[in-house]
Amino acid sequence: MNGYGFRHAARMERIKLGSVRSTWWLAIAAVVVMGAVGAGVGLGYRSHTPVATAAQILNNSLGGAIAAQLLLGALGVLVVTGEYGTGMIRSTFAAVPRRRVVLAAKVAVCGGAALTVGLVASFAGYLGGQLAIRGTAIPAASLGDPAILRPVLLTGVYLGATALIGVGVGTLLRHSGAAIGTLFGLMFVPMIVVGLFGESGIAVGRFVPLLMLLNSIAVTSPIPGLFAGWVSALLMCGYAALAILCGGVLLRYRDA
Amino acid sequence: MVPSVDWVIELRELTKRYGGRVAVDGLSVDVRPGVVTGFLGPNGSGKSTTMRMILGLDAPDRGQALIGGVPYADLRWPLKTVGALLDAGAVHPGRSARAHLAALAASNDIPRSRVEQVLRVVGLSEAANRRAGTYSLGMRQRLGVAVALLGDPGVLLLDEPVNGLDPEGIRWIRDLLRGLAAEGRTVFVSSHLIAEMALTAERLVVIGRGRLLAETTVDDLAAGADSLEDAFFRLTSQDTDYRGVGAS
Repeated sequence: MNGYGFRHAARMERIKLGSVRSTWWLAIAAVVVMGAVGAGVGLGYRSHTPVATAAQILNNSLGGAIAAQLLLGALGVLVVTGEYGTGMIRSTFAAVPRRRVVLAAKVAVCGGAALTVGLVASFAGYLGGQLAIRGTAIPAASLGDPAILRPVLLTGVYLGATALIGVGVGTLLRHSGAAIGTLFGLMFVPMIVVGLFGESGIAVGRFVPLLMLLNSIAVTSPIPGLFAGWVSALLMCGYAALAILCGGVLLRYRDA
Repeated sequence: MVPSVDWVIELRELTKRYGGRVAVDGLSVDVRPGVVTGFLGPNGSGKSTTMRMILGLDAPDRGQALIGGVPYADLRWPLKTVGALLDAGAVHPGRSARAHLAALAASNDIPRSRVEQVLRVVGLSEAANRRAGTYSLGMRQRLGVAVALLGDPGVLLLDEPVNGLDPEGIRWIRDLLRGLAAEGRTVFVSSHLIAEMALTAERLVVIGRGRLLAETTVDDLAAGADSLEDAFFRLTSQDTDYRGVGAS
């Protein structure tokens, strides 16, 4: 029986995640980019006629999530591939030979961190938009309104799930460039493909991450044909679980 | 410390293939506590692969590697039982030595004070907050030694520890390893430098092309040859994969 367990591995992963600069740069960039897009959207609508609605401002000011998902997805990938690329993975597996315990710890620590950063970034987008429209006739959106609070929270969840898809893809591919490229491809290519089918593409499009983000998760009311926001967010978590499971199966049999 | 059977490394018919190439071929050896055992062989003879299989990083195709009778993966606290210096690259270049050690210490419930202790032992206390990517090869080797010592283990596995060390560092590691063995620990050190092994090790395990060529002592190997180096070449001449010829 091993003396160590998930708790020990999680402490190791927490120290590792916090002690490389890329973690902090990617997290800060995700928050800044969402705040900036939110503010930019607000400024753009200030003198817009007809006067924008609260929903218009909110939906568009969360648009920075398109960039933030790439940053946090890369963060999730690097948590795994950063170790393979440098040989660190051998130190890690020598310390904790039960590899799935390591993967579970990475999922918990990286997922928790990315969810936190995702929520902060999402709130920054909301806040940027609201601050930029102050003093105009555009109605303010209150977080006390469930229709406003829901997309802000779900966008944070979406970003956290994207980081976990990154962890799964990183575990499968083990190479930073290949895994980040694949992750970005998974985010954008399906949307382009669905677009080719026009109106009828929606039946498939509602399962596509970026379309879910822009039309179901980060909006006050989903466009017809798409799932409710929370269903889309759960679907993203399901994709993450699938990627992590596949990675976990291969992890056991491959040489480190 | 009293030598313990829990610290014996047993290799039983250990075999590893990569594609069609046999890296380690039916290797059976016992490595005992109390002495430094040198693991010698030409480049590509399977030393590092054997080390990785002992640590459970690579899975053998056949046979097994046991530590105190159990596979590495079943050890209760791996770092408190076996300390390993892997190739000096087994560290993230963006992380400081202190954070690297603190993370590994946390994984095996080793107190934080031990991190500062091993940093002092290897002489990296001053540089401990610098990113490991800025270290020289010799400093990375010292960090690797600090990782190996972290859990105060009874078994030490070191893969080419003198690579990149200056003469002072080589003497330091030699004295350190002999001291650890004298305390009753099992010390298994790979090298392709026969002269260095002659000074550090008492027992020798010599392999070539993944097969055991000799299990002997430094004294016995040197007997009957002009030098230890000649004896080594005689032993491995049929089993050296990569050999240059004189430039003309």
